[in-house]
Amino acid sequence: MALPAAARTRPHYGGTLRVEVEGDAWTLRGGLARRLILDGLTRMDADGVARPALAVRWESENNDHRWQFWLRPGVHFSDGSALTSSAVVDSLTGACGATCPWTEVHAVGSTVVFTGDSPLPNLPALLAGDDLLIAHPGSIPSGPTSITGPFLGTGAFQPVGLSSGVLTLAANDSCWQGRPFVDKIEIVGHKSIRDQWLDLSVGRADLVEVPAEQLRQAREQHLTVAVSPPIELLALAVADGGFLANPNLRAAIALAVDRGALSNVIFQKQGEIAASLLPSALTGYSFLFSAERDLDKARELRGGLTPPPLTLSTDGGAAMQLAAQRIALNLREAGFNVQVADPGRPQHTDLVLLRLTLASNQPRAGLELLMRAVGVATPIQESDPAGLYRVEREFLETHTLIPLLYLPRAYAAGGRVRDLRLSPDGAPLLAGVSLEDAP
Amino acid sequence: MKLGWPIAVVLIVASGLVGQAASAAPAPSQWEQPAASLAEQIAGILGPGQAHLAIRNLSTVPSEEIPAIRLALEQDLKAHGVLASGVESANSIRVTLSENLRERLWVAEVIEGSETRVAMVEIQHFQNQVSAASAKMLLRKERFLGPYVLDSLPCFSSPDGKPPLLAVAERPHGLLILKQGCLLALDRKPSGFFDGRTFDNLASTQAQTRDSRGLIVTDADGDGFLVLLPGTECAGSYTTSSEPDRPPGEGWSLHCHPSDDPWPILTAGTPKGPIQLKAFYNAARNYFTGIVTPSLNVDLPPFYSEAVLPRPASGAALLIGGIDGKVQILEGTSLKPVAGTRDWGSDFAVLNSGCGAGAQILVSGSGEAASDSLRAFELPAQEAVPASAPLAMDGTVTALWTAPDGKSVFAVVRGAADQYEVDRVTASCN
Repeated sequence: MALPAAARTRPHYGGTLRVEVEGDAWTLRGGLARRLILDGLTRMDADGVARPALAVRWESENNDHRWQFWLRPGVHFSDGSALTSSAVVDSLTGACGATCPWTEVHAVGSTVVFTGDSPLPNLPALLAGDDLLIAHPGSIPSGPTSITGPFLGTGAFQPVGLSSGVLTLAANDSCWQGRPFVDKIEIVGHKSIRDQWLDLSVGRADLVEVPAEQLRQAREQHLTVAVSPPIELLALAVADGGFLANPNLRAAIALAVDRGALSNVIFQKQGEIAASLLPSALTGYSFLFSAERDLDKARELRGGLTPPPLTLSTDGGAAMQLAAQRIALNLREAGFNVQVADPGRPQHTDLVLLRLTLASNQPRAGLELLMRAVGVATPIQESDPAGLYRVEREFLETHTLIPLLYLPRAYAAGGRVRDLRLSPDGAPLLAGVSLEDAP
Repeated sequence: MKLGWPIAVVLIVASGLVGQAASAAPAPSQWEQPAASLAEQIAGILGPGQAHLAIRNLSTVPSEEIPAIRLALEQDLKAHGVLASGVESANSIRVTLSENLRERLWVAEVIEGSETRVAMVEIQHFQNQVSAASAKMLLRKERFLGPYVLDSLPCFSSPDGKPPLLAVAERPHGLLILKQGCLLALDRKPSGFFDGRTFDNLASTQAQTRDSRGLIVTDADGDGFLVLLPGTECAGSYTTSSEPDRPPGEGWSLHCHPSDDPWPILTAGTPKGPIQLKAFYNAARNYFTGIVTPSLNVDLPPFYSEAVLPRPASGAALLIGGIDGKVQILEGTSLKPVAGTRDWGSDFAVLNSGCGAGAQILVSGSGEAASDSLRAFELPAQEAVPASAPLAMDGTVTALWTAPDGKSVFAVVRGAADQYEVDRVTASCN
């Protein structure tokens, strides 16, 4: 997940790192700025284990119904105010409201106590997630999917400006993890991949995105690319109402999709074909879920019914639109009348092509976070492979979510960027980056 | 905190031995337990009878192991009344030898008519760790401490994961291992280093730096030592005892206090006797400020590294690796740039090899090479001349220092998975 282990001089302090992204840096999930500004009570390490972050330790009681987290002493928000247990409670409550995995959270001295009607075996891992990072109580995001900003955290950077589409973050000198090496990061959002690469080539940008389908092209152009393992799940969400309330029709859709064509043609063989929620590297059992296309069986399950027109949408970029077109073609071959919705025009859709990030490489937490991302908020108690397999199979047999491919995340860096690494979920770890030509 | 570890920690200098404590493939007898467990589950699903058994391997289990695994499965199934055969049957058992990043996973799909049920067994999986070393180079590296040993020590198994390894010092009574915020002091026993004491929370309350550095400075008599971390100084010692049953680690003591005093970086011989040069360290960054004591009557730039190099004309010269990437040499009161250092990284140390000019500078690579390396240079004048081929390292060199006898250099190396090892680098003359 890092650039090749390179020889090095010691990292230099200073300079401005210029980053360009296709989406919105403020976006709640996967937004680049969020991880730079905020920390969680925990963090996930490369082995999929929850490690201390703003909490230094934790204990569970009563069969995981009650959890107590001890806060790291001496941590401050970037405005200088102290991180307190009540601030943490306010932040967490504001972040998830009624959809929080716990029943109740409250401050007890310098600790935070969570209680749940159901056991919460994955709570330390869940608290490392993007949506549960700790923001200053006075600057909590107002909505579940976007940030009104600016807001303050305990992270390596603090927001200092947002103008003309450029978000400027400054190094937090008093960050509890140590000051980052660069003085500033400028993040330009809503830049097309083509423009990002152009800016990288002429030295206007230091770090740009590389979509999986363009990885081969990036390597042909000799770009320096950091690539994550396959951690983005491309999946088709299927509504279970109306005509599609019939489970046989949803199963027919699952059998009709040609994953091989998606992988080979659209995504240039850069992903792994998937029929399971968790990738094989995490479980070893994914071969038990068949990814084979079976058009005859799909038609048989459709049973001669003439479905009404179905709408398929996606909010991704060009490759996602192409993938949606391809899936629509596959489904028409199975007797479904599917139209791809115009991008950016909100309307009711029966099928949605999604990209979901595997937010934890610990199988149980990863599975629970994926299922929460599609609205299934049941804590997973099972921890052994056989138990997780049962949970996955039961969920996937509803055919409300059809896994298609696992794709890597990748970033290309300019020549002056040093020590770029990616987190287990593929996000660039910019606090550890330094610039070769920093003063 | 006193510790009594269940394993003996022995310094193994044979390259790679520590890392190879576990092998990729268990011996055939080690398949017996998982085979028995899987067979029991299969029999629980299928009940007594006959079934077709097929095995496929999606794992790194060597193919030559498959017959032994099949035999073990067949025997265990038979013990449970299931007669496994290769011929077609109404019932079939499809066993897949799979694995994930952490463990092996054997999966049995038990097919009875149109119904398929699944059984699984997990098997602990060890990764092979192989050290790369070249025997044809002038420079030779030996693993002094491997990641397997370092990870097994409590100091390195802290809740913070894998904190950076900063320095190691071998003492007459034991071994000191310094990481960010923690010192591990191991007692020397006849069988190697064994048991000891962990001193935690050494770092000051100031913010940590992301490029951690630290120093262990030992007394000539071997009993006392100083530990220096950004913003913190600790004085330690070892007290011998005639008590045969003294608990492990009891002899070590350490007292720390916040400090911005300069770090003792060099001891150099002078006509008036040895002097110790101290340098102020920027605790919020990763370099020395350039202010040293006693004063050298010259303004030094901020620097990452320094070394005293024997010189024919002046006796000794101070080599400085500046944070601007420039290497300069101080002879007398004259600070001069050194040419030929474009490929130099930020870390260097002197190696008294006895070859060539007698002493060389061992230098880490710059960011222009594909992987990190160490290379020896000589400085006959103001230009660095390579004296060895580059020695490839198994990761990034994060610290480098000369051993007390001067004849070897220790290197802390961080691997791709943030695992650390300590290598001892020596030279043999061509």
